[in-house]
Amino acid sequence: MALLGQTDLWAGIDVGEHLFLFSPMIVLVCTMLAVVACPIILGRGPRSIATVVWLGLGITLFMTFRVAGAVADGGVSGLSTQPGGMLIADNLSVGFQFLLLAFLAGVMLMWWMGSSATERNAPEFFILLLGSALGMVLMVSTTNLLMIVMAIELASLPSYAIVGFEKRNRVAAEASLKYMIFGAVCAAIMLYGASLLYGLVGSLDMAVIASYTIDNLSLGPNRVLLAVGLLCFLVGIAFKVSAVPFHFWCPDAFEGARIEVTTWLSVVSKGAGLLLLARLVTVFCAGGGADANPALSITFLTPLAWTIGIIAAVTCTVGNFAAYKQRSVKRMLAYSSIAHAGYMMMATAVFIHPSISGSTAGITALLTYVVIYLLMNLGAFGVTAMVVWDTGSDKIEAFTGLMRRSPWLAVPMVACLMSLVGMPPFAGFIGKWWILVALGRLQNTATSSGMFSLSTLGWLLMIVAVVNTFISLYYYLRIVVQMMFRDDGQRTVRTPIVGLAMVNGCAVALFALLIFAQPLKRTAERFTRNMYTASVEQDGKHKTLASAIQRGTP
Amino acid sequence: MDLLTLIVFLPTLGAVACLVTPRQHIRMVALAVSFVTFVLSLTLFGTFWAGSGDVAIFGEHYGTLHETVRADWIVGDRFAIEYFLGVDGLSFPLIILTTLVSFLACLASWNFDSWKVNRGPRAYFILFLLLETGMLGVFVALDFFLFYIFWELMLLPMYFLIGVWGGPRREYAAIKFFLFTLGGSVLMLVALVAMYFFSDHAITQAMVEQGVDVIESGYRDGVGVTHGTFDMIELATNTAIQGYFGAKSTLFLGLRFAPLMFAFLFIGFAIKLPIVPLHTWLPDAHVESPTPISMILAGVLLKMGGYGFLRICYPIFPSGGYTLAFYVAMIGVVSIVYGALCAMAQTDFKRLVAYSSVSHMGFVLLGIAVMTKSGMQGAMFQMIAHGISSPMCFFLVGVIYERAHHREINRFGGLWLTMPKYGTMATIGFFAALGLPGLCGFIGEVWVLLGTFAARDMFPWAIPMAIVAASSVILTAGYILWLIQRVYLGREREEYKGFLDASPREMFVLVPLAVLCIALGVLPMQTVFNFTNGTLDLMLAQVLSGAGVG
Repeated sequence: MALLGQTDLWAGIDVGEHLFLFSPMIVLVCTMLAVVACPIILGRGPRSIATVVWLGLGITLFMTFRVAGAVADGGVSGLSTQPGGMLIADNLSVGFQFLLLAFLAGVMLMWWMGSSATERNAPEFFILLLGSALGMVLMVSTTNLLMIVMAIELASLPSYAIVGFEKRNRVAAEASLKYMIFGAVCAAIMLYGASLLYGLVGSLDMAVIASYTIDNLSLGPNRVLLAVGLLCFLVGIAFKVSAVPFHFWCPDAFEGARIEVTTWLSVVSKGAGLLLLARLVTVFCAGGGADANPALSITFLTPLAWTIGIIAAVTCTVGNFAAYKQRSVKRMLAYSSIAHAGYMMMATAVFIHPSISGSTAGITALLTYVVIYLLMNLGAFGVTAMVVWDTGSDKIEAFTGLMRRSPWLAVPMVACLMSLVGMPPFAGFIGKWWILVALGRLQNTATSSGMFSLSTLGWLLMIVAVVNTFISLYYYLRIVVQMMFRDDGQRTVRTPIVGLAMVNGCAVALFALLIFAQPLKRTAERFTRNMYTASVEQDGKHKTLASAIQRGTP
Repeated sequence: MDLLTLIVFLPTLGAVACLVTPRQHIRMVALAVSFVTFVLSLTLFGTFWAGSGDVAIFGEHYGTLHETVRADWIVGDRFAIEYFLGVDGLSFPLIILTTLVSFLACLASWNFDSWKVNRGPRAYFILFLLLETGMLGVFVALDFFLFYIFWELMLLPMYFLIGVWGGPRREYAAIKFFLFTLGGSVLMLVALVAMYFFSDHAITQAMVEQGVDVIESGYRDGVGVTHGTFDMIELATNTAIQGYFGAKSTLFLGLRFAPLMFAFLFIGFAIKLPIVPLHTWLPDAHVESPTPISMILAGVLLKMGGYGFLRICYPIFPSGGYTLAFYVAMIGVVSIVYGALCAMAQTDFKRLVAYSSVSHMGFVLLGIAVMTKSGMQGAMFQMIAHGISSPMCFFLVGVIYERAHHREINRFGGLWLTMPKYGTMATIGFFAALGLPGLCGFIGEVWVLLGTFAARDMFPWAIPMAIVAASSVILTAGYILWLIQRVYLGREREEYKGFLDASPREMFVLVPLAVLCIALGVLPMQTVFNFTNGTLDLMLAQVLSGAGVG
């Protein structure tokens, strides 16, 4: 029980206060319980159950607003008096909760339009959906090794099931199985890495692990073991983000799942993984004693930045090239989401440098991008969903002549696709722009020079990003060509009015966010300010324990 | 509302109006909007009326602007993107050209309903007007970020105008146009970010040397910039920035900053110009576009490349331009000769005119590359002249294509007899393209050639290049005279006997262009040079001193 012993649960803290800070998560859990209870009271009608979920989401949103006010001036590490508690409530986690709730509402809307009429297992569906949502919220609210593993599992396990929710559909079943096997292997590797780290450092707190790493990675006797542990741990996050080479599940799962589930997985699941990565990187920069020993931390952080940067560059290049020959639009958008994960990962690479860890350029860019990406994917998947529901096919030919058939679907689709490319006058350009600027900031702050300096990394990643924009243009244009330039006389797509409002709203918002780039940036900055970072006591007991392990006397 | 904002966004308002206008009145709305825009842009003349080199108009240094509009757009953390518009001698004639060509092209779209397309006019005119906003925005924007937004903004409408309303291979042509242009502009985006951070470094360094506390000072203190900037005038004229950009020790990924950034920007603009070997999108796009879109493409879009050189490449990276002058001039000469040779080999009427554009824009590039007064002036003049003669040529092709439904040069003949008014206009238009003395094409080419000769002290290769470029005039004369002979002269053909002569509407498009062809050829000072030379000479003086040769 040494593990729990160190966290001193409940000792000397205001329990009510802390429960309040984590009330959005608690409300989510209660909503899940209500969904379970609902069939007993209200029956299994899909719409009545959805109403209960709407209600739950409303309360969650309300609580999130209240928490946002409470943590605006500084994050709190909750449920523990120790510096690295289990959970964190700060601006970033609250900001992500807002995003997640907005997106969950969009996905619910799609479900309401597309599946609610024929849904037979609504309670199960919503328990799984809310379960993965809870997991994602937890992912962004922790820097504790054990909690990270738990959160990732909580986000993943319901996802496996929900991908294969149409149990009579062979493609869905295959997708679910692939997703699960892949996820299980990655989870096992991550757990192994976590166990190595815990065994070496003797603490679950990432800040302590970071400090230990920076002290020992280049000099210490266990540096190989440490590096292996870190890399294995990163595998779990890479799987969630679908970074190459852990991306193979993504196209299959996206193609097999129902379209609202695909939409769900495409944005927030990746966003949560990336924000978790960003949080860990912050801890390694700021909490890891970088200020105490800049030279040592540079020798560690520069290779880390390069590692993340190279993975990001490879991810977006592979994603874009693989999208070329896809005939299924869902699958094409799956590869496009891999590419976008690559762009977003670049923003986490920049933000590594200690002298800019005070600046939030990278994470602000990341958060802005997630907001914009959410809108463009909701729009693009929304249009695809309506075409799929009506024609029964997600092949690119189903879009032929859409401009004549349903101009109010075709025009927002063009806006969303061009935004995904990163073309002005749509907000996708602003998203890319802030990432490029964040990469450029490495220029002024790099302390090392030479071939592998951080400024070189920044400029190279920038070139990779813009060249990838160019590469991606062609496959997005393939859909545009089908919609605009060709026509084979298919009939008009029947569309629910709410769906039209949603996709056109997304398109208008994408245009507006380019004009109002300034308020968007301000908002993103507000939610990345005052991130919680644990301070490390250099002579604390974690350190002593770690030294003891080094001497071979655990 | 200030004048420039009104000029730029009036077409956008028109596009919104088109969205709600009943179908049969849409073309009327579009024409009215483009006409009002044209008239509004004419009011800019007042500012520049007094004549060439007037200090009151053009200032003592490069960077004197008129009708400026400045407002913060995206600011924060030592970072400012502005909504910054203004005109000077570089942009003024191009704005007039854009509004004029757009108006005439809108008139050329009047018979939209007779085109063999099954799409309504609504989307066409909306895209047309959005395109006009994009083009005008490029010429008036002085913040590089804003410039880039407008530059990309005009891509999408153009893509759809070619791809939806174009000829049989329109899909291919539209995608090619899009890919080429975006391919050029992604490198421009890198340059955009890099220029900001390098200028930030330069300013910070200068402030540290002066003993100013960098952190304490605000982002703009009324004296000048205190951080990196996207302001294209500031980037070109601030001595600290220019010193740092031009220094040999300033490196970008291990390469010298100025030539590399010059090359990044050059590729983006040169694709638009276009240059050999990146010109292949142009003939395809022209051949497949409907006539009015060809007019805009040739008349305005190609000029954006030349404007980019004059506004961004040379003033901001003079040493880059000086270092790479040989290659730039060489590309110019190759474009002149290769374009002319290709034009000679064409049997498709429109393709021939398209290749002649490649050849003519080669003169623009050569004139700019040699960095002499008459070279720059000639390049500017050539842009305006080509902006008048080539839309005219494309419209002439369009007129005959509507009647004959083919463009095979060899199947025509004797059209002057069938259509006397049209034939006269065609002769003026094609002779202007040929560069006949007395018409507009002549002045630009001669000025460029004189400028190239004048550069012989700076560049030893200038004389041979001038000789090659001058000789290519024979090629130009060859293909144009041969064209006129095959299409307009000779015996009247039976199959074309029934053709109606140019209608009043067609004459209304052709006559203003023909008048301008003659006016520019006879009165070059009063029509173009007086308005442009003041800024061009100041810009050149600054470029030469920046490159260390003036």
